[in-house]
Amino acid sequence: MAPSSIRQIATVTKYELLKYLRGRRLLAIVVLTIIISAIFLIVPPAIGSAYTKDPREFIVNMLSFLSILAILSATFFGADAIVSEYESKTGYFLFPNPIRKTAIFLGKFIASVLVSVGAIGLYYAIAVVSVLVIDGSIPTNTGLSFIYSLVYLFAILAIAYLFSAIMRSSVYSLVLTFFTFFLILPIVDAVGSIAKFKPWFSVTFASGISQYIFQSPYPTDKVFNATAFGGPNAGESMFSLVQYYPEIRLSFIVMAAYFVVAFLLAILIARRREM
Amino acid sequence: MEPIVIENLSKKYGKLLALDDLSLVVERGVCVGYLGPNGAGKTTTIKVLTNLLRATSGKAYLNGVDVIHHPKAALDGVGAVVETPEFYPQLTPNECLLYIGTIRGMSADMIAERSQAVLQQVKLLDVAERRTGTFSKGMKQRLAIAQALMHQPSILILDEPTAGLDPRGMVEVREIIKGLIKTDITILMSSHLLYEVQEVCDKVAIIDRGVLLTYDSVKNLSVGQDVTVTINTLEPITPSEFKAIKALKDVKSVKRTQTLTLKVSFGSGPQTQFRVLRGIMNTGVKVVSYMPQRAAIEDIYLQLVPEGEA
Repeated sequence: MAPSSIRQIATVTKYELLKYLRGRRLLAIVVLTIIISAIFLIVPPAIGSAYTKDPREFIVNMLSFLSILAILSATFFGADAIVSEYESKTGYFLFPNPIRKTAIFLGKFIASVLVSVGAIGLYYAIAVVSVLVIDGSIPTNTGLSFIYSLVYLFAILAIAYLFSAIMRSSVYSLVLTFFTFFLILPIVDAVGSIAKFKPWFSVTFASGISQYIFQSPYPTDKVFNATAFGGPNAGESMFSLVQYYPEIRLSFIVMAAYFVVAFLLAILIARRREM
Repeated sequence: MEPIVIENLSKKYGKLLALDDLSLVVERGVCVGYLGPNGAGKTTTIKVLTNLLRATSGKAYLNGVDVIHHPKAALDGVGAVVETPEFYPQLTPNECLLYIGTIRGMSADMIAERSQAVLQQVKLLDVAERRTGTFSKGMKQRLAIAQALMHQPSILILDEPTAGLDPRGMVEVREIIKGLIKTDITILMSSHLLYEVQEVCDKVAIIDRGVLLTYDSVKNLSVGQDVTVTINTLEPITPSEFKAIKALKDVKSVKRTQTLTLKVSFGSGPQTQFRVLRGIMNTGVKVVSYMPQRAAIEDIYLQLVPEGEA
């Protein structure tokens, strides 16, 4: 008799992890993480520059690719997790068994979370060890920054799974996931700055709290006036931009909401999808 | 309740009615060949039974459990090969079987024992540790059959199980199925190969455009159908020999197709066949060989399924 769904979820997770370990994507993410970290550590002394003495500034610089790493993790480990079962027909092997589709979904999602958290965790670990060695102390709020980055990761992973549950092609799902978080939403965030509306609802805007948390005091919204350089109106204000900063509590709620809504929608759609 | 029960099953894809109020019961220990042209609804039926598709209306039961509402419980004693499944390229056959066995709640010892047995049965034991990403289509089809047999199911659902196999592989799979029929297992097998169905199955169900056209035992379907045999002779048949064969009691038609070849049609049934063949030998014709030209099922199929449907 088939075991409980919880045990089946664990089985699916185990084999998804095995596939990741034997595949190229996990290796690519780990290698990329190490290379990015190495660049931040090697380049300054190589060009004769000293590392910054401010540990907060140091770690913010080291973590500047955090957003891209999270996006790549969501793309690699989430964007085709569901659609690939249909497109590559491995679903004919897995689905006609006494296991609920929800259990398959959860098993896959947990595996995606584990490898993605592992990649982000490795990035933070290298940054923390580096700042400890170079500047002698770990900035406060490093733990909070890590937590906020994980919440962001969960949110975009859930959205990636939603795309994967909807799309008919792995390639389209991968492309949509990557460009949504790498290009489309950041453009929306930037437009907000020009159009003077705060994109508090944007998950990519909200993700900024994982970096801004290191600033003391926490930054507040600023208005910048662009002045004319020359000509008859030299020195006059031409237009103004607003530099918006995400509020911590609201951004946490926004990211959590994206996770919950996308996750539930993805499960519902994946369950009803036919082969 | 019988192992497989389908009641008034319908499936719509938009406006297309793939299954139209289909009802079918497969009795315990029986092997049913499920025939029909492309697009008839065979794979749709199998996919509803294996929880790959949702029915629009109707019911389907496996071992008395409603597969539409309780698929996990319904599929517990069921092994299935649907289309030609792909396997995760990073996993080996042993790992694939371990995966399925674990999902099904088999113990580690049982998984090890059954993996060995089924891989041997499908002749994949020597590649048990090779990743399936390197497998040919035929090897994947064999592995698909192995995973369906892994847990010794009481119901086996096969969607063209010999598809993609070379002739030897097809023979071997048919032998596996014949071996299984001797046990109490219930089998529903779709196929395009009419001779395969006639050779292996106890009953035949023919479906077209989602409608069940006929469902009966192979024996009953054969009754009343004319048999045509092709007879090859050592020497050309003389007009008197030709006339004598035509005059035989049960013979319905005789045609000379080539100098040394005759086609003789007569009523079905072993007694009739014995009388006709004895009568032909008694005419003095030097028979070298004779071969049934068409299976009875093929005749039924061609009568029921309109021309133009592949």
